[in-house]
Amino acid sequence: MTLKDVVSMEKITLDDAAAIAKKGTHCGMCKIDFLGTGLCPSGKKHGFIAYWPQGRMEIVKALASGRVKPTEKLIEIANSCSFCGICDRQCNFATQLRPEKVAKALKEYVDNLDKSDFQSVLEDDVLRELRGIVGEEWATNDPIIISSYIRTIIHPDSELNFYIVMPKNAEEISKVIKFANKHNMPFMPRSGGTLLTCATPTVLSKAFCLERGIIIDLFRLKKLEIHPESCTATVGAGITAFELQKAAYEHKLRAHLAEAGAHVCANIASTGITSTWQNRYGWAADNYVDVEIVDDEGDIKNHSDMDIKNPYTTERGFTDITLTPPGIITESIVKLHPVFDDEDVVLVPFDNLKDALSMVMKLAKRDVGLSLVILSRKYLTEFLCPTPQIAKDFEYILKNYMKLNYVVDVICNKDDKKIVEEMADYTIDKNLMKSLLLGSPRLASLKDSEFLKILSEEEDPLKAIFAGPMRKHLEKGLDASPEQIAQVFDEDLRDFFKKAYSKPEMSDIIWLHAFRILPSRLMRQRLFFAQAGMIWADDEDKILKLIDMLAEVCDKYKLEHSLGFISPMDDGKYAFFEYDYFYDHNDPDATKRVSQALIETTEKCLLMGDILMVLNYLFKGLYRKEHVLYPKPKAISKEEQELFRELIESILGEELKW
Amino acid sequence: MVKFLSEEWIDISKKYILEKLDPEQDLKNITTSLLNVVEHVPPNDTSMNFYLGFQDGKLTDFIVNTGDTFEEKEAIFIIRGNYGTFKGILKGEMSMAVALLKNRLKLKGSKMKALKLIKPLDGVIASLREITDEYEE
Ligand SMILES: Cc1cc2nc3c(=O)[nH]c(=O)nc-3n(C[C@H](O)[C@H](O)[C@H](O)COP(=O)(O)OP(=O)(O)OC[C@H]3O[C@@H](n4cnc5c(N)ncnc54)[C@H](O)[C@@H]3O)c2cc1C
Repeated sequence: MTLKDVVSMEKITLDDAAAIAKKGTHCGMCKIDFLGTGLCPSGKKHGFIAYWPQGRMEIVKALASGRVKPTEKLIEIANSCSFCGICDRQCNFATQLRPEKVAKALKEYVDNLDKSDFQSVLEDDVLRELRGIVGEEWATNDPIIISSYIRTIIHPDSELNFYIVMPKNAEEISKVIKFANKHNMPFMPRSGGTLLTCATPTVLSKAFCLERGIIIDLFRLKKLEIHPESCTATVGAGITAFELQKAAYEHKLRAHLAEAGAHVCANIASTGITSTWQNRYGWAADNYVDVEIVDDEGDIKNHSDMDIKNPYTTERGFTDITLTPPGIITESIVKLHPVFDDEDVVLVPFDNLKDALSMVMKLAKRDVGLSLVILSRKYLTEFLCPTPQIAKDFEYILKNYMKLNYVVDVICNKDDKKIVEEMADYTIDKNLMKSLLLGSPRLASLKDSEFLKILSEEEDPLKAIFAGPMRKHLEKGLDASPEQIAQVFDEDLRDFFKKAYSKPEMSDIIWLHAFRILPSRLMRQRLFFAQAGMIWADDEDKILKLIDMLAEVCDKYKLEHSLGFISPMDDGKYAFFEYDYFYDHNDPDATKRVSQALIETTEKCLLMGDILMVLNYLFKGLYRKEHVLYPKPKAISKEEQELFRELIESILGEELKW
Repeated sequence: MVKFLSEEWIDISKKYILEKLDPEQDLKNITTSLLNVVEHVPPNDTSMNFYLGFQDGKLTDFIVNTGDTFEEKEAIFIIRGNYGTFKGILKGEMSMAVALLKNRLKLKGSKMKALKLIKPLDGVIASLREITDEYEE
């Protein structure tokens, strides 16, 4: 888009822009080049969140609410946007927002201010010293820049009493930490911000965010080297999942990763990388060969050092909650896995969870599949569909007409595919999945059609559609094509999306599982909170009871909710579950209910036993999974329940009745 | 009000804990000992420590020392953190439990057992808050 186009764009006020910005959820997709558009030029150049589309949105909110006053830096930030349109494409794919409108409003707002409206921010002693470590350009105490970090590492109500540094290597981080300790300043690293954005609106916010001090933004640690000879990669803390996968795939290798925008080192440190591939690729320390860590004293260590104390083990028990990692991972050497020539996708549709679970656990125990998971109807539709409305209609159809509530989703080689096919009466293959993805708008439009009504009257609609003659009609009726799906985007973006969806990878189900560009759709214009855990899997009825309990609690708190996925791990001995609550992150009542559901379900899971909850495995990704998962977690006693309640009250710092 | 870690601070704290905290109600009859090592004490970036001992909910020892070790008595728990962290806890900006879970305080001893002391220790901290609002900058 040229500057002329920008001028002719419809004018919007700062308040209107703030209304758009409020819908932003910091999914971080504007920081990775997943559509081949290139990256936001100003973000790439300046690094600080303030210069990225997501940061401008946060700044607009802060200005509109009077939380911050304009500073001289704001002029540079507003003018650094070239209105190139990249962010509108990226954001529209993931969330349907148009961040450029917000950037435009910000520029107009700044242009209309008087020179005297901008406060100048002085360099104090702390900033001077920090700049001495990381360089003039890479440390700031500017309130406008700081405000762009709200909701990803700064609690929305916090005073903006922070410094932000962007060191370029472990040595600089070490110096920053030593400086912080000497001056009694707390510090915390920030990578992609995606975990932090999910925690911030909830009652966990104060415990997860930094209250004041130094934010260490790891964006500049961009080292990335693939070592095909050892099937490993050296990955700096600034490298995202998407960037690593792209480099690995060039060598026909695959990395084990979470969603595209998460940083790999942060992911190892925090959730230990849970995914649909974990039964084969492992969890926690299985994922890496070595890490470089800067510890809380600012000392740089490697796991391969001979003289460090055992870094792979942790205390156990339900009180062992850790809210920070045992140091900042500045670099990791991660394992890569082969990509096979005969990889294929096979999905088995189910109307009920019991049968899906039985199949997935059988496959897991026999180590079938590279990626192996039960996906809920909700996940399937949120991921595949380009807009929330299409996802909603698509889900309605799956539920009410097709009775497709779960799929066992397997990526595997040819031999494994045969095993799956032998176990199932009918399956969905790669081509049909592609048609469902590209044809999702058409399918959604059939919501009240005769075709679907006839289908729903079948005794076994799933069989009729996936194994009977109706399959052909469906495929034909979907008229799946890049042209069709592009039509659902704003008019000015349709050509772009037609081209984007014409690229084979954009509808290649294996590629999408590996590059994980779709999960951010779970947070389009509203947030989700993932209640998650790992349950000992020998008793499938217990897993079903767990899922029923999670649903009941969400109903009690009137939340939109759904199972996300169940994915086996440790050769099917454990099952990882993610159960999602969807809510408006701007609604305090909704966030309170999410918090209540989160605590109540955690407590109930602890009482059930055999379950390791997210609060207990978080920040244990550096440890050996065997030390975290074993011995099996026992159900807590009444006395321990009291202790759990005291602990939660103390963490939350407030009374939360559940 | 007295300065954190000063001689008067110990005297007044001792008196306050003995007089105002009920061994059963507030201190849950705990028997434990705790060595708190305070690092990076301004202005000279030194270390200090204070040792707290309780017997059946009654304060038996309250000793402040310089350095980061205390040879006289062996504590069941050793908690280590920087001056800013202790200041934040005493000022009520962060609870001791959160400081532990955020690794701001490093614990030697069982975390499970230490967390069982949260309630009684919260009472001690609240009383120390009453008498301290002067800190090194
Ligand atoms: C849509 C969505 C889908 C997700 N799916 C998955 C999934 O499938 N599997 C999964 O495992 N997780 C998943 N997550 C969670 C998320 O991917 C991980 O927690 C990931 O670690 C977040 O990375 P980040 O770079 O955004 O970290 P941030 O949010 O920036 O940081 C997370 C935490 O780690 C700390 N931290 C950051 N960098 C480092 C570092 N280098 N060293 C030590 N500590 C650090 C931060 O201080 C913070 O406490 C998902 C999240 C979202 C929003």
